[in-house]
Amino acid sequence: MPTFKLDGQEIPFEPGDTIIRAAWRQGIEIPHYCWHPGLSVAANCRMCLVEVRSGRVMALPILKWDEKKKEYLPSTKPKLQPACQLAAQEDMEVFAASEQALKAQETTQEFLLLNHPVDCPICDQAGECKLQDYWLTSQKKLKRKRTEPVHKPKGVVFGPTIVYDAERCIMCTRCIRFCDEVAKDPVLDMRERGNTNEITVSPGRELDNDYTLMTEHVCPVGALTSKDFRFKARVWFLKSSPGVCTGCATGCNTWVDHDPRYQRVYRLRPRDNEDVNKFWMCDDGMMTYKRFHEDRVVAGRLRDGGRVSEVSRVDAIDAAAAALGGVPKGQVAVVVSAQHSSEDNYVLARMARELFGAERFYLAGKPAWRGDDILRNADANPNRAGALAVTPGGADALSKLAADLDSGEVTAVISLGAFADLNESELAPLANLGGAGAGAHVNLTSEAGPLTSAASIVVPVASVAESSGTFVNAKGLAQQFKKAVTAPGGIQPAWATLVEIGHLLGWNPGLALLGDVRSAMPKALPAPSEEAAAPPA
Amino acid sequence: MAYKIHKPARTLSDQAYFPEVAKGLAITVRRFFKNTFSKEENKVIATVQYPDEVRDYPERFRGVHRLTHRTDGSPRCVACLCCSTACPAQCIYIEPAEYEPDDARYGFERFPKVFVIDELRCIFCGYCVEACPCDAIRMDTGVHVPASHERAHFIFDKETLMSIPGKDGSYVTQNPRHEPGDPSHPGVTREAGHH
Repeated sequence: MPTFKLDGQEIPFEPGDTIIRAAWRQGIEIPHYCWHPGLSVAANCRMCLVEVRSGRVMALPILKWDEKKKEYLPSTKPKLQPACQLAAQEDMEVFAASEQALKAQETTQEFLLLNHPVDCPICDQAGECKLQDYWLTSQKKLKRKRTEPVHKPKGVVFGPTIVYDAERCIMCTRCIRFCDEVAKDPVLDMRERGNTNEITVSPGRELDNDYTLMTEHVCPVGALTSKDFRFKARVWFLKSSPGVCTGCATGCNTWVDHDPRYQRVYRLRPRDNEDVNKFWMCDDGMMTYKRFHEDRVVAGRLRDGGRVSEVSRVDAIDAAAAALGGVPKGQVAVVVSAQHSSEDNYVLARMARELFGAERFYLAGKPAWRGDDILRNADANPNRAGALAVTPGGADALSKLAADLDSGEVTAVISLGAFADLNESELAPLANLGGAGAGAHVNLTSEAGPLTSAASIVVPVASVAESSGTFVNAKGLAQQFKKAVTAPGGIQPAWATLVEIGHLLGWNPGLALLGDVRSAMPKALPAPSEEAAAPPA
Repeated sequence: MAYKIHKPARTLSDQAYFPEVAKGLAITVRRFFKNTFSKEENKVIATVQYPDEVRDYPERFRGVHRLTHRTDGSPRCVACLCCSTACPAQCIYIEPAEYEPDDARYGFERFPKVFVIDELRCIFCGYCVEACPCDAIRMDTGVHVPASHERAHFIFDKETLMSIPGKDGSYVTQNPRHEPGDPSHPGVTREAGHH
């Protein structure tokens, strides 16, 4: 691979790479605002100016103060070039930390902050703002301008999700380029020039496509802020753990930003993964974090006739074991979940087979939603392929379960997850189980949903943010996510809760830790068949 | 290395004990008569009859916190959480909120919906005052936290903190604030801006 020298260090590059991209691949950051690895080159912020000393060196004539002669004499200085636009060439000598380059970064930084309101205390970007970072690394000087800065509109509502502050904006056009190139919805543009320059929405339109929150994410300063995250938390209190989006079968990689003091998730951010989501996520995916805290099931529920009473988690587990223990072998139906991790589904399927001799498996999940060609998969479940992989005999659609219940071949159901692609009346046969009548429907869930309402016994389990696990996306890629926050009230992941129920019934599979489950799981997941990858009809 | 401590050599009168005792008692007796029988302005009492009489704390004494007001009586605080970040005792809890839609500050400014200081946990280091970018929290009240038998009495909420005046009796500070709409704050809209 050809190389060039950056500040004396050899940097390999692929043909067509710019200086900044080759350095970025090596984990070296050349200060920049407008350049983004996933967007086109604009070269308008001038922050990444570097000095090139090889080849034909360009020079600018200047007057330089001569201390001895006490006068200005004609001299030259190297002409700096933007690293984001300059193609890397073999044996190039580039300097990003030379005296001239550092001076250029300092003056660019001072220029960008000239009319900045410096309202960091009320700005949500504070703590992850490039203006703050580069002020500290490149400028570190007080403002020299003494006059009132130019004022521009603040708090402009761009759409249902985004608020714009023109005073903080540095006109890097990242948001415009994102809408044009990735979201394919050219709704943003720039108006006016110079001091009065600002970003504007197309007349008659709102910023309301499926990727609006990404404009906030690519904004290097606090000009675009998300309505949802505004004023909720300070980013320096948040810790990030790697997650996988639960919104659809694409399985976008995420950072789950949570506050460890309150054990609460505040937002999801895309985690760069060239193979899956590159640098992006959709709005609905970024909002899936709300499910970690809304409609949570944190206690067990027992239905007796028409009355539902809340019980402790332990009592719910006891009730589930008692209800399932009396069912004749082969009469237990198992509903695996496309919303739960492969670990949860594997333990459920194995327990049902070994303990109840179950042969009937059904797959539950959310109904199909609106996909697109960018990221969103039409299957709204993150782990359909993973759930099908643990049921080698195949899993039937949930609608077949109703028929099996009517025929009397099934008298008890154990189901995972809250969601089903059926409505309430279609789930009625499930809801009739247990309670005062015969049989039982045990539902393990972290949140309330159609299956939870139809259950006679609800056992609370940890949500995706509260447990580690694996999702297999539509392409058949198994991706692991890590626990971010601790579940309230000693609630355990579904697989551990199932092992607890199993223990009460004398089932000892030797699955005490997540590692045990992962090593017991089928190693090579079968390649996803067309059927598995396809969204439900 | 061990330090050598030089003790002053004792004179013969120190050594004899009684002359020094007599000298000391002489001072005591002199002060007694001076403070009992002389005119008020000549008295040299160093003691203060606490709690009937309270001596002023020094100018820069770090007393109980107060939240300063704007001219309209709302808190200057914008709930940036800089104070609670700087606090080494972690005694400040803030919940930010947004102004109502009809407020001029709606859309970009925030205020503390909840602002609580646990004065028992506070170590009165003054870092919160140093950290505050808006001059919203001050310790210039000149009083210490009043004593109580109840722990709950030391949990000062926003209303309590805003009800404590500064040493000069005012609820505002000398540093001016430019509110949106003021002549000193050219505005938040393109029309109100000067271009």
